[in-house]
Amino acid sequence: MIGHDIFLPAPLPVLSAGTMVMLLAIAWRRSVIRSLVIAVVTLLAALVSVSHAFGTPPADGTGLFVQDRWAIYTALLILLSVLCIVFMSWRDLVRDAAHPTDEYPLLMMLGTLGATSMVFSASYMPFFLGVEILGISLMGLIASRHYRFAQATEAAMKYLILSGVSSAILLFGMGLAYGVSGSLAFVPPVAAAGFAPSMAQVATVMILAGMFFKLSAVPFHMWLPDVMEGAPPPIAAFTAVTAKIAIFASLVRYFGAGPLPPFMQGVIYAVIILTIMGGNLLALCQNSLTRLMACSSIAHMGYLLIAFFSPGRLQGGAMTVYLVAYTVSTLGVFTIICACAPAMGQDGNRITAWKGLFATNPLPATAMSVMLLSLAGIPPTIGFFAKFEIAGTGVELQRDVLLLVLVIGSIIGLYYYLNIIRVMMNGGVAPSLPIARQPQPELTALTIVLTIIVIMGGLFPGPALYPLLPATVKTMPARNLTGTPPEAPIMKTAIAPPAL
Amino acid sequence: MSLLPALVVLPVAGGVIAWLADRLHVGTGVRMRSISWFVSVVVLVLETVLLVVESLRPALQAGGWRDHFFLPWIAQMGIAVRLDMDGLSLSLIWLSLLLCLACVMFSTRQVTVSAGVFHFLFLSTLTGIIGTFLATDLFLFFFFWELMLVPMFVLIAQWGHEDRQRAAMKFFIFTQGSGLLMLLSILGLVIIHYRQTGVLTFDYFALATTGLSPLGSMLLMLGFFVAFAVKLPVVPVHVWLPDAHTQAPTTASVVLAGILLKTGGYGMIRFDIMLFPDAASRFAPVAMGLGIAGILYGAWLSCEQDDIKRLIAYSSVSHMGFVLLGLFSGSWTGMQGAIIQMLAHGLSTGALFLIAGSIQDRVHSRDMRMIGGLWAAMPRLSGAGVFFAVASLGMPGLGNFAGEFLVLLATWRVSPAMAVMAAAGLVLAAVYSLRLVNRVFLAPTRPGAQPVTDFPARQMALLGGIMVAVIVLGLYPRPFMTFAVPSALSMTAAASGERRAP
Repeated sequence: MIGHDIFLPAPLPVLSAGTMVMLLAIAWRRSVIRSLVIAVVTLLAALVSVSHAFGTPPADGTGLFVQDRWAIYTALLILLSVLCIVFMSWRDLVRDAAHPTDEYPLLMMLGTLGATSMVFSASYMPFFLGVEILGISLMGLIASRHYRFAQATEAAMKYLILSGVSSAILLFGMGLAYGVSGSLAFVPPVAAAGFAPSMAQVATVMILAGMFFKLSAVPFHMWLPDVMEGAPPPIAAFTAVTAKIAIFASLVRYFGAGPLPPFMQGVIYAVIILTIMGGNLLALCQNSLTRLMACSSIAHMGYLLIAFFSPGRLQGGAMTVYLVAYTVSTLGVFTIICACAPAMGQDGNRITAWKGLFATNPLPATAMSVMLLSLAGIPPTIGFFAKFEIAGTGVELQRDVLLLVLVIGSIIGLYYYLNIIRVMMNGGVAPSLPIARQPQPELTALTIVLTIIVIMGGLFPGPALYPLLPATVKTMPARNLTGTPPEAPIMKTAIAPPAL
Repeated sequence: MSLLPALVVLPVAGGVIAWLADRLHVGTGVRMRSISWFVSVVVLVLETVLLVVESLRPALQAGGWRDHFFLPWIAQMGIAVRLDMDGLSLSLIWLSLLLCLACVMFSTRQVTVSAGVFHFLFLSTLTGIIGTFLATDLFLFFFFWELMLVPMFVLIAQWGHEDRQRAAMKFFIFTQGSGLLMLLSILGLVIIHYRQTGVLTFDYFALATTGLSPLGSMLLMLGFFVAFAVKLPVVPVHVWLPDAHTQAPTTASVVLAGILLKTGGYGMIRFDIMLFPDAASRFAPVAMGLGIAGILYGAWLSCEQDDIKRLIAYSSVSHMGFVLLGLFSGSWTGMQGAIIQMLAHGLSTGALFLIAGSIQDRVHSRDMRMIGGLWAAMPRLSGAGVFFAVASLGMPGLGNFAGEFLVLLATWRVSPAMAVMAAAGLVLAAVYSLRLVNRVFLAPTRPGAQPVTDFPARQMALLGGIMVAVIVLGLYPRPFMTFAVPSALSMTAAASGERRAP
């Protein structure tokens, strides 16, 4: 099957080739700038090729990869966010001539490859490979800087151990799923004849738990704030955005856009409530900006899970627009952190260091406020429309408790986002930031572009509102382990019919 | 061609120009420092011209709607930019413009720290407010409703007084949090309508035809009610108001008290009572009870204050209790009274905040124990202050009296006991208003007071205009009573003599 009629979405070989070219270049002579340029070129090539593929998808739907609109859309988001993150890290890497860190762009390309492979996968194998490639390169990235090494190593170790645990759970679930269903297809397993249905359910729950770990849903969230705080800001953005998009896209692909199996309803309900409340309450008591963003990221995953849990007319549009809103706003916050961090020390981590930014640097302060308002869901930003859509999905399915939690969580969120704006406004006698700082044209440009996206997306969210979800999954009929061929297995069809 | 979008967009566009003009002229000379102020004046004058044109147009249809604008916005969701104007919105926009002009004439010129940003925020608040008064697409309404919060938050947090940031946070969180409940109600109504008709739309007139179960309509109505109750404010959720009004800079205080509170009243009329008449009438006893509580509690606390702005703020709570009482009294008289009260309160309290701000600018204190008698030093300012304090007391012949009288009349028909309790609020109003007059204006001049300048003639002329408006509202409220009532729910409904009673 694999040898002769392979179906391969084009971004995967493009990213792999780019990684190998970079390896060759590094083996020849180390140069950070060249590696970064190769990374950018590779990413652009992958962006161009995102909707192309090699080979034709197998008719029976048993391929390793799938390329539908949901996969293309999430891959686009991943590639664009990595592009932003490369630009964010550029200056830090180039300036530090004493420590040439070619590994940084290399690992970032590998991580991108992993994330992209996750969103394109239609089988457990490429999915798990993607998870592991992403996880291992992230570990390297987290520990990549030479200053504040102890913290970075601690964060990397934490990530390694917890990521390993979650991968183990995921792998165990997959093994169990394969055992009871005899299929590696990336859909919830159905027990074949001779197996108790509960075995399939256990497998599903284990896979779900593994995914929640990666998604940092409460109660599997403990690693995220520590890891993001220890990592350099661009890598924190990578953890919060790219990795999250990849795992959320896989979650949606795995369970499909339809209603969830009944045994999962209670679990998801509880996880959503815990995630929203936990994330927001944790964020409330942070005084480090990166940690706060980590907790807010947890809460946002909770909001996204509401849409995931509410299949209806609005679901598709809500998910696409929310992913865009979350990605753009979070990247915006981290871009501004990168831009302002050198002047603040400690990566701009302490919220108090941001005091008086409006007086000293009005442009980043204004952009930061726009991003935070977008995360809080205030018009005229795209975050407002995204939250509106999420609430719409919940109302449509009458998830009353979840909506209440959404409201409470949003109010708490409003407090800590506004608090940062308040600190930035706080004039104070002596501004803690030097007014003069070195010009950073790429970060300024990135900030402006992201701000424009946030505002224009809030005013005209129509284009972001396409329902791109994979079609409702009909659970794969179990392959009969005794050898008789299955009657035409129904895999997810390539493209969902537009629901709106 | 409809002028409504121009009416909405003009202030924020002017605000951007003011901001840019200020940035371009930074440091070019003292004379250009107030360029953003000039831009604001021009913008407001243009806006007034637009509004005059709009007021002189003949009504579009027999239903009482004067103007209409429609543009698709987010087609997938059935969201459109739909603006409609009736007598109620027109009167409230006139009120907004009058107060904004007063703000610009009195106080915004004194803002010297980033004046361009200040005027931009001030004018974008006005855009949000006008949009709120005009939007008849529920999403658009919510959009504007939230939109006016951000600039107001920054105005309070950046240009306010000593404890400004806490007050601003409180204001924002209360209003936004309750707004989320309204969002859920809007979505609920839209989804129910979608289930019934298969059409996804946020159009006010289409949604008004939705059939609702008694429980459903009550829940949806409550979602709207909470949001408007926070803005109005109604007593248990009024706690943001005294802080925000006290800490805000003069301009923001005037806009808050004069206009922002009216968006709450406007929303109650337009969305609570008109969309859910049955649920509103079932809820009326509770709402009226809350109104009474607000009247008495606000007035009582107002009597206890030493801070002049805080006193006025609590008196607003009391006055808005009358509005709530009138709106839910279930009769046209009550609603007309509430609308008159809203207009009169906007004028008189707005003017009082202007005067309080001017006093603070001159004497550098809001504490009535420190201010002492101002009459000798500033007869014009004190005269105006006494006039508006007396108006706020409910002196017959002035606007507030007309409103309160109509409300009491309507309440008496429903429940004499409630009317008696509400009337007791008038006694307390006399107490706090006269205390204000006695302690600030009529008390003996404090020894060692610094020499101060009185209001110049230009500002007195503007205050005189507001006084005339208050007097006209009080002596001859008839045209306002018929003009400013909300129009029927259907655009094509003929004026068949009988209006739909709330």
